[in-house]
Parts: sequence; structure tokens; C-alpha cells
Amino acid sequence: MIEVKDLVRQFKTGDRTIKPVNGVSFELEKGTLASIVGKSGSGKSTLLSLLGALDKPTSGDVVVDGVSLAGLPDGKLTEYRRRDIGFVFQQFNLIPNLSAIDNVMLPMEFAGMRKGARLERARTLLEQVQLDPEKHSRRINRLSGGEQQRVAIARALGNEPKLILADEPTGNLDEQTGDHIIELLSSLSRDHNTTILVVTHDRTLAQKTDRRFRLQQGQLTEEAVRPRVVAGA
Amino acid sequence: MSVLARSVGNAFRNKIRTSAVVAVLAVAIGLALSMLVANQAVGSKVQELNASVGTVLTVNPAGGQGFEGGGEPLTTAESATAAAVPNVVSVVGTKALRLENESATSTSSTGTTSQQGGPGGGPGGGTSVTTSLKAAIDAGTLGNRNNTNSNSGAAGGSGTGNSGAAPTFSLPITATGIGAEVDTSGKALNITSGTGLGDYTAASTKALLGTTLADKNGLKVGSTFTIAGKTFTVAGIFDAGTTFGNNAVYTTLAEAQALASTPGELSSMVVTVNSMDNVDAAKTALQSALGSDKADVTQGQRNLETAVSSLDSVKNISLVAFIAALGTAGLIILLIMVMLVRERRREIGVLKAIGARNRTIGLQFVLEALVLVALGSVVGAAIAAFASGSIASALISSNSTTSASNQRGPGGGGFGGGFGGGGAFGGASQLLTSVTASASPSTIAIGVAAVFAVAVVGALVPALLTARIRPIEVLRGE
Repeated sequence: MIEVKDLVRQFKTGDRTIKPVNGVSFELEKGTLASIVGKSGSGKSTLLSLLGALDKPTSGDVVVDGVSLAGLPDGKLTEYRRRDIGFVFQQFNLIPNLSAIDNVMLPMEFAGMRKGARLERARTLLEQVQLDPEKHSRRINRLSGGEQQRVAIARALGNEPKLILADEPTGNLDEQTGDHIIELLSSLSRDHNTTILVVTHDRTLAQKTDRRFRLQQGQLTEEAVRPRVVAGA
Repeated sequence: MSVLARSVGNAFRNKIRTSAVVAVLAVAIGLALSMLVANQAVGSKVQELNASVGTVLTVNPAGGQGFEGGGEPLTTAESATAAAVPNVVSVVGTKALRLENESATSTSSTGTTSQQGGPGGGPGGGTSVTTSLKAAIDAGTLGNRNNTNSNSGAAGGSGTGNSGAAPTFSLPITATGIGAEVDTSGKALNITSGTGLGDYTAASTKALLGTTLADKNGLKVGSTFTIAGKTFTVAGIFDAGTTFGNNAVYTTLAEAQALASTPGELSSMVVTVNSMDNVDAAKTALQSALGSDKADVTQGQRNLETAVSSLDSVKNISLVAFIAALGTAGLIILLIMVMLVRERRREIGVLKAIGARNRTIGLQFVLEALVLVALGSVVGAAIAAFASGSIASALISSNSTTSASNQRGPGGGGFGGGFGGGGAFGGASQLLTSVTASASPSTIAIGVAAVFAVAVVGALVPALLTARIRPIEVLRGE
């Protein structure tokens, strides 16, 4: 379970102080697929950075399964990112001189998984995101934007994280692949009890999530809640 | 893909840049290795020289040296006094004789032994005796000129000089009675055929001949010749390494003293000290024990001191150049890696965002630097293999030229220069040019290890910089 308590992040630009995240509080149960919508610059990416321990809040706290991130040193926060978080960045942020499969294996290598095991898992994940097997060994800069997005999603799933934070995960995909990715994220939350928080402009994607939030001027409001389907129910 | 494989891959990301970096590194590493090779070659030579004669002191009669000067001769009793001085491990007495060919002296002298004035007009301490041997060196322009000078000089003193035209001149041969199997500088004799003389303190009719002298007279081991009418057998043939040095005969000390009819007299003593550290103290003690009015104590050979001094300069220069080249290689690595870290800030941020530890990223950059250094070392080692000899020679020749010009001056020509203890000034440059610098695998390995150590230090700084990169700062640019 993820608890976000009165989270504030402020920046100073000259004499001005801006608060892209200003007193945000919410809770997400395990296995929830949630979305945050909002205008550009509304603080969606900043909120994801705080939840993923890439950034530290000015005040407030994020508690994951009873553990407060506020009190953790940098080394523990790195471990939290490695073990519990899967990021899907808006610009993919893949390593350009590595192949697709090497990119997917990176977080597994950092987690200490054996080479054989991570190779097998990386192949499975790339198949799940429907990347042509011929392209598994292809360098990232020789893949299309959509293919890179799928590799980025596969990389986020590598260590079976508790929480997946995805920034516009379908933004570069065609409609058919986008639908497949939405279905993949839904099945992950449903079948593997993975909590997924998606930042998106895609209304279709947002409508398919269990809970839908809107971020406006640093404030988070919940727009809709959909009854949750529990695996095996 | 492991960290190492990723590092190797990263090293070749930009092939043109990698080639340029490797080329620059190769030059710096090649220079460093060449300097190390030169340093080690020169160091070995200095060690060798010090080991051979660096601990040797020469004692001459006060005011006399070889066939020059005056004063009272040294005695066997003084040899015992010298041996009792602290830190002295051995004392070898020598007795110098000048051998003149029987046919050349028959017109001017009927005797076989004479206490003769030295060339140049001095009374001298050397003794001339006749021999059946012919000198291996032709008089030539220098010999005839020196003979003319010595005759005119001797005319005013007690010498044997004649006025008027000089007769056909034959160079004398140096014969030395020695108390051990060493030359007059204390260096072991290099006997190329036959054997030594056995007991050097007892009278013996065996002798050692220089190679050219033996060749000139058609003598081999077992052949005979005469000195002062006495028949000697060639026990061995030695190679002194110089034309002058090989125009010489060695007998036992007692035999030379008997030939000169001066029992108990010594021309010089070769004193060996137990270590280089004690040479100065032993020299002072020796001078004090023998008396400064009785004996002159000198340290080794002047040309050796000059050579060692020059070689030490070369050694120091090559060491400084090695360190400088090593530092340059380290600086190149530092700057390249700082540039790469700055260039890949975003990538580092991403790796941290997905859970890479600081040490994993740091290690990746250090390994990448080492890949570049390894490539540079291979090319650098090849450069060193080809260039180290030339670089060492250039360093040595520039130093020996300076030394030679500094030491040229007293007794540049004449018998004084040739027969005296001062020795030929060509000796220093001969010692210097005999240094051979070859890039041995062990030297290259030591050099490459030093380069890698410096590279690790150079790469650690940028690697530590990666720890300061916060992922959010580089990813916020999205």
C-alpha cells in the first residue's frame, strides 16, 4: 500500500517560489491501476519523481508498505528504486549504444540477477510488449519510437516492482499497440498485484484505470473510482 | 551484459574519438616506457660500474704516478698498514715496469735493466727492462711526436734523450706485477684463453699477455718470450677492452719486483673498501694512516667518476621524464573521462534512476578508462620497443658531450696521459656508449603497471564525480 501524506515540492526561481506539488495526499491499494491527468506543467512529472524517490519533497512523506521514504539515506533510496519501482519515462531514456535486450536486462543486473535468468526474463518481457524477436538484439537507435517505448516498458517490469510509474506510456504508440500496452498494464495490476500510476493525456487510457486523479495548480483531486476486479474473483 | 562488457562497448562508441585518444595516450605512454627503459639501462650500468671499481681506492707514492712524478716508492710494509685500515677488505700491490724491445735499445744501452728517467723529463719511479716482445702499437705521429718532446725534455735532466734527429722509435710495453688477478684499476682481468698466474705473491716465470700484444708477436698460450734475458711462458691471454690496455704484460708482483731489483717496492696499491658508503671514510683513514707526504690516495678512476656522474644525470633526467610522461598520461585520462562524464550525465542519471549504485557507475567509467589505457599501452609499448634505444642514446650522448668538454684539459697527450693513472679521457665516453637500452618484457610490464596505476587515479576523479549527479537534475530537462 502506498500512502502519500501532504506532499509539497517547491522551487525558487529568482524571487518567486513555485509549488508544482502543493499538499497532495492520497492512498493507493496494492494492485491498483491509477491515472493522473492534468495540463502540461501542472506538476504531474514532479509528483511521479517524488513517488519514485528521484526527488525529495520539501515537506510531507511517501510511505510504501509502512516504510517512510523521508527518513531513508541515498543508498536506501537507490535500493528502493531498484527493487520496488519501475519507471517508464516519457522520453524512454534508454541507453543508446546497447541493444533492446541489454537495456531490459540492466535493472536485473543491478539487482544481482544471474545472467541466464535475466536473459530469459528479458526475452519474455520483450515478447509480452510485442517486440519482434528479430529486434531484440538491435541497437536502440535503430528502433522506431513505438518500439523504443515498448522496450522502456519491458525494462520497467524487469524486477517485478511493487509500483510502476509511467509517464505517457502510450504517447508514442499507434492505437493498436497502445491498446495492447493498456491491456498489459491492466493485467499486471490485476494478476500480479502491481500498483501502477500512469500520467497521461490519453482520455481512453485514463478511463480504463481503476482510479482517476486530476492535478491542477499543485492540488490533486480524484475524478472517478471504478470498482476493482481482484485476480481470481 | 556485464559492467566490463558495457565499458568496452562504451570505449568504442565514438571510434574516431577513441582512435585520437588512444594515439595521444600511446605517445605519452611510449615516452614514459622509453624513459623507464633508459632509466633502468643506465641504472644497471651505474650499478655494474660501482660494483666493479666503485669501491676501489688507488694509492700512489706522494708526488708520483705510474712513470711520472717523483717522491719515495711505496713499500710492502705500507701495504700492511693499508690493510689494517677499517672497512678495507683487500690491498693489492702493483709494480710497474716499462719493457723496451731489445733491438730498439741495443744502439743506446747495453744493460738489461736501468733506473731510467721518465719521459717528459721527470725522474719517475718506473723501471725499464728489455724484452723480446715488440709493441703492438705503432708509434705513429703521436708516438714519434711524444718521443721527440720527451727527448728534448730529458736533455736538460737525467734522461736518455739525444739531441739531433730522433732514431726509429718503438713504443714501450707496459708490464705490471700484480698481487691478485686484477688490473691496475682493481677490475678483474678478462682472461680469454689460458689460465691466471696462480699464486700472484710468489715469483713465477708465467705471464699474461694482452690480445693484440700476443697477436703482434705470434704468441699463444704456452709460447715463451724473454724479459731482461729471463724466459717467461704465456699462461693466459687477456682482453682489456682497449688497444692501449692490450699492449701490456702482467706478471706476479714478486717477479716484477725481482726483475726491477727492487724487492719490497710497490708502484701503487689497489685498495678495495667493503661498501660504497664507506669509501670516503676509508679514503680519509687511509690517507691519515699512510701520511700525506708518503702517499696519494685517489678514488677509482677519474674517467669512471665522470662516467658515473654523467650516467647519474641521465638516470635522473630519464626518471623525471618518466614521471612527467606518466603524469601526462594520467592527465589525459582525467580530462577525457571528465569530458565523457559531462557528456553522459543524462545516461548516468537514467542508470541511477533505474537503481544503479554509485560504485557500479564509477567502476564502469574506471574500466572504460582502463580499456583506453590498455590500447594506448599496446601501441606505446611498440613505440618504446623501437624508440627507447635511440632516446637513451640521445640522452647519453648529450650528457657525455658536456662531460667530455668539461674534463678535457690536463695531460691530453703524451706518455703522461697514456701511461699515467689519470687514464685516457676517451674512457668516460666509452663507458657511456657501452650502455645498451633494450625494452625487456619485465621493464615494459613495470612501466605498464605504473601507467595503469596512474590511469586508475586519473579515472577515479571523474568516476567520483558521477556520484554527485542527481538523477532528477538531469531528467528534469524532459
